[in-house]
Amino acid sequence: MEAHPRPAARTGAGQPRVRGTRRALLLGGAALAANTALAARLWQLQVVESDTYREQAALNRARTRTIQPLRGLIYDRNREPLVANAPVFSVWLTPAELPSEREGPVMANLAVLTGERVEDLRFKLSQARLAPDTPARLARAVPRESALTIEERRQDLPGVSVHTSTRREYGHGEILGHILGFTGPIPAEEVEAYRRQGVRFDEDIGLAGVERSLQARLRGRDGEQRLETDAFGRALHELSFTPPQVGQHAVLTIAVNEQQAIREILARHLALRERGAGAVIVLRPESGDIVAMVSLPDYDSNIFTRGASSESFALLVSDPRRPLINHTISGLYPPGSTYKVIAASGALEAGVVLPQSKIHCDGRLVLPSGWAFDDWLPQGHGFVDLQRAIAESCNIYFYNVSGGNPYTKLQGLGNRRLAEFERSFGFGQRTGIDLPGEASGLVPTSEWKNKNLQQPWVTGDTYHAAIGQGLVQVTPLQIASMYAAIGNGGRVMRPRLIDRMLDQHGNVAERIQPQVRSVLPITAVNLRLLQTGLYRAVNEPQGTGPRARSAHTIVAGKTGTAEYSGARDAEGRLPSHAWFAGYAPAEQPEYAFAVLVRDGGEGSFAAAPIARDIVDYLMTGDMPPLPQHRPDFISPDRRL
Amino acid sequence: MLLRLARIEWATVISTIALVAFGVLMLSTTAEPNAAGLQNQAVQKAVLAVIGLALAFAMAHIDYRALLGVAGPIYLLGIAALILVLLVGDFDLGARRWFEVGPIVVQPSEFMKLAAIIALARYLADRPDSTRSLRTVVLSLGIMVIPAGLIFLEPDLGTALIFGAIWMAMVFVAGARWWHLLLPVLVGLAAFPFAWFFAQDYMRQRFVTFLDPSSDPLGAGYNVLQARISIGSGGWFGHGLGQGSQSQLEFLRVRDTDFIFAMLGEQLGLAGTLGLLGFFTLLIVQSLVIGLRARDMFGRLLAVGIAGMLFTQAFVNIGMNVGLMPVTGITLPLVSLGKNSLLVTLVAIGVLLSIHSHRAAAPFRQQSMHLVRGSLTSAGPPRGLSQ
Repeated sequence: MEAHPRPAARTGAGQPRVRGTRRALLLGGAALAANTALAARLWQLQVVESDTYREQAALNRARTRTIQPLRGLIYDRNREPLVANAPVFSVWLTPAELPSEREGPVMANLAVLTGERVEDLRFKLSQARLAPDTPARLARAVPRESALTIEERRQDLPGVSVHTSTRREYGHGEILGHILGFTGPIPAEEVEAYRRQGVRFDEDIGLAGVERSLQARLRGRDGEQRLETDAFGRALHELSFTPPQVGQHAVLTIAVNEQQAIREILARHLALRERGAGAVIVLRPESGDIVAMVSLPDYDSNIFTRGASSESFALLVSDPRRPLINHTISGLYPPGSTYKVIAASGALEAGVVLPQSKIHCDGRLVLPSGWAFDDWLPQGHGFVDLQRAIAESCNIYFYNVSGGNPYTKLQGLGNRRLAEFERSFGFGQRTGIDLPGEASGLVPTSEWKNKNLQQPWVTGDTYHAAIGQGLVQVTPLQIASMYAAIGNGGRVMRPRLIDRMLDQHGNVAERIQPQVRSVLPITAVNLRLLQTGLYRAVNEPQGTGPRARSAHTIVAGKTGTAEYSGARDAEGRLPSHAWFAGYAPAEQPEYAFAVLVRDGGEGSFAAAPIARDIVDYLMTGDMPPLPQHRPDFISPDRRL
Repeated sequence: MLLRLARIEWATVISTIALVAFGVLMLSTTAEPNAAGLQNQAVQKAVLAVIGLALAFAMAHIDYRALLGVAGPIYLLGIAALILVLLVGDFDLGARRWFEVGPIVVQPSEFMKLAAIIALARYLADRPDSTRSLRTVVLSLGIMVIPAGLIFLEPDLGTALIFGAIWMAMVFVAGARWWHLLLPVLVGLAAFPFAWFFAQDYMRQRFVTFLDPSSDPLGAGYNVLQARISIGSGGWFGHGLGQGSQSQLEFLRVRDTDFIFAMLGEQLGLAGTLGLLGFFTLLIVQSLVIGLRARDMFGRLLAVGIAGMLFTQAFVNIGMNVGLMPVTGITLPLVSLGKNSLLVTLVAIGVLLSIHSHRAAAPFRQQSMHLVRGSLTSAGPPRGLSQ
């Protein structure tokens, strides 16, 4: 382009030409074009795409805050609260407000201030980033000083805030650990599963006990608050509010005072032993209501929510008695002689024997194969009928009626029919109690043995099953449930731990009705025979359970001494668990129970006195004398 | 008096007042609720605008050629002030851009823009026959590079770049060769790797953010994104004055200065933004028209320089608001909060008015009323004082 302007065509008279007219016009044109482009862009933004930006503006200002409901409480039978939601400081983070380049130092600072591990914080942050505008809880229950420090250092900790939230505090955590369980953060591998149920990753959930089994009902329903906020996250006003629905409250069938006393009774007896361990379960035969459930050693629920020292925690984990496990429902043991009633009832019902049929017991039964099966009494019991066999716990009698006798040609009940009877008493399946982690136990059959041990079933297996030895595995709760059924006239009840659920106003939301799981396939007459046998076991001079005799009521029950494979003692005997199971009063029983002293030796010495103390307590409401003050006391270190 | 008023270029004045009014209106919606009287930014701006307009009218009656005599001293004064601000300026937000003289905050870079335009206009007008020579072009570039360099050091990259744009417009109209105009661009491209190396982090960040604003929504890109949301959500007529969640809830930051246009977009919608753009266009076109009608090259170049300054700032600022330009921290002339900028711009408008009122004759002559709009060469009968 020419640089000099042409001489102007329309020059005014003599007006000197100023150069650059064309170029100035060009500049004007360029400016107009540029501004037209801006106008076009404004059209695009404000007309064409306006709706999108309106939405974004609305999203900008509206924050949705989920309000977690207060967790429902748990009461004992007398409406005494067993747990409280105690206020604590917790640390929250809104991921959107934390620039990613500051993540590292902020997480490191928080780890120091909260005592959480950096990896855990990072995991939570990664979860929280899925919903970056929603605050997520990074640490629960930080000390007051840490909370204040975090508040002071908000400038260094963008997005971090301190709120009060709640922590479970268990008023009787030390005696109810196995029943109440505890709450805690969701294990990383279960976060997804809980998310699908609408449970946020940063919530505490029930991890054991009733807290776990009733998780969904205790939790309640989230509330939601929609807020208009400014750019700095300050809430200006509420757009909408849906209140959270407080979780339901549970009322247990257990009473604190009874649980405490019964736990104490067991503890006193176990204290006589080195590293004593045992379990007690007490039921109401009519309803299946749990009165007491004790597994010792146990733990205090509070150490999980309050935080325990690592030493005490390590002790719990490393203790070979496994205190974290509720052995009343999760522990599997051979039931020993407490199981004999099953073979007895089966033999009666199947007509293997008549009640008055006598079988000779000379202390040992040697099969043609050469295998010998001993009675616990080396000289034998002589001729015994069914009731004496129960009362005196004669093994030989039950070998005969279950597996038969090749010499007398007595046709026994046989493995298959025995197993059926075992199952009808509720063995080999969960009782359905409202607690997590219940074991189902094992009713051994030839099929089971073939499949799992690749060995054929032999007569000896039937013998062992009949006396609750060998492959049989039961839980104390199953045994208590069996004796409850015998005591109540034949109904196997589902053990009831939850009596009712209450809504937030304390009104009954649901009453958990007693539930009959099955009815024993035993005639009233035969059941009566069993009951009498159990009565005689305790109350007749030759019975095995005289130490269960109570001064306040009549007890019916059965001892058990269940050998298990382990190191033999000096006399070559296998170690054994001591059992006593029964009910009281013998007529119209109010309580059924199972007592287990693990590695306790003889049931009649180790377990029966515990049952007596428990019955005494339940009948009088007073603590019985210390075991060593009883006239019939025999120290556990003196074995027969 | 009437005659004097009649010599004023009213389209320029009206568009100027309209733009200032937009600014006052916007500032009034963000003012602290309990700031009364002179505490209120909007009131401050209005008062300052009245003072500035008075200065502009006064300027209109001074022959702009008087500036020929003071161009050198003003320029040197500006350079001295720029050096001073680098040495003793207030350190604020990572930069030294102003200092305080009593209660008044002085931002030398604003005054330097006008001073440099005057100096460059004089330099080029004095050399009507050598504008095609590389030597003149390079030397003229030097006039701009010195203040731009000082301002770059503050650091204030955006304002420094404005000098380049002004230079290009003025040298172009002065008649330089086309490829000479590309000189600073070539120099810039060659210098880019070094500049990138020495650039402040915020500058690099701005550049990257311009390329992809959503890359870091809470960081540097936040403002760009929020500005776009503000403007877009305004729709046809906006949410109304003082309404709109983006500006009222402060999602939109630096809304009084860099992003005042976005606030306007939210509150008054397309009607408001196009209105403002229209007044800017009018003002710029009028400036060029005044330049075209100027009696001499000095006046023309002054007007072109001022037009270039107004256009570049407005385009860069609005472009940044709508996401077409990178974030440079350039404010919207006359509209944004910024007292130095407002005063200097109004004085520059005064210079335009002076060029207009002195386009043909000595003051107080009848001829100046014989304007025929749209005729570029009907500037009236010749007067003395031709070049």
